[in-house]
Amino acid sequence: MSALVQGLRGMLASRAATSLLKATALRTGAVALQHKHIHIQSHDARTALLSSKSMMKFLVEAPVRGYSGGEPQSLELIRERVLLVLKLYDKIDPSKLKLESHFINDLGLDSLDHVEVIMAMEDEFGFEIPDTDAERLLRPADIVQYVGDRNDVYE
Amino acid sequence: MSASRAVAKTVRQVKPILSVDGAEARKRVLNLYRAWYRQIPYIVLEYDIPKNIKQCRAKLREEFDKNKHVQDVRIIDMLVIKGQMELKETVNIWKQNGHIMDYFKETWEEKPKDFLSKFLSNTK
Repeated sequence: MSALVQGLRGMLASRAATSLLKATALRTGAVALQHKHIHIQSHDARTALLSSKSMMKFLVEAPVRGYSGGEPQSLELIRERVLLVLKLYDKIDPSKLKLESHFINDLGLDSLDHVEVIMAMEDEFGFEIPDTDAERLLRPADIVQYVGDRNDVYE
Repeated sequence: MSASRAVAKTVRQVKPILSVDGAEARKRVLNLYRAWYRQIPYIVLEYDIPKNIKQCRAKLREEFDKNKHVQDVRIIDMLVIKGQMELKETVNIWKQNGHIMDYFKETWEEKPKDFLSKFLSNTK
């Protein structure tokens, strides 16, 4: 009787062991399969990316302006920006405004208005204009020249 | 000899407060204007007043234009000093909302102009 019981227990134990073994083997197999799958997928994506012609074009012809780079500048662009700021200033008559018109004599501004104009230019171009320079900038053309010199733009 | 001495006495330089000539005083005034102008958005933000930036800038201009006629360098200097003090008090919030609104004089009654209202309010 006891021998039979022992035999049974032995059989059960061996069966349990085999089932455990099977389970682990299966799991490792699955993991290996998963790894392989991921690897294959990423490799495929990379080759697809590189082989597509538009992507190659994008990588070769890099964009001119980076996100932290300054905007392209020329005297013409600076002139446009200066005149736009002056047109938007409510005390200046846009029809009278010309590049060579004098703020105080032609456009009828007073010295405090002139200070406001200079501050508007500081805001537009993002640098501070010291007052020794500010009192010489009496025409839009002077401002264009000054901003151009400051940013090393000569054409 | 004595005449030239008398002339020298009359044109004798007074002791300057800050500026030695008109150009320097003018520069101080413009700098003060610039400082106020730049500060106004923050003043509107920090004080609970029913005014916007544009109205405050118009008032700033009005306050400067009030002293447009002043020619004396010493007086200009004193006005600039007072303006700087006001600005400092405003920036450091040593003023209250009422002090800011005081510039706008909204609660001031106009002085009577015609005869009858002068008579009724018993002012000359």
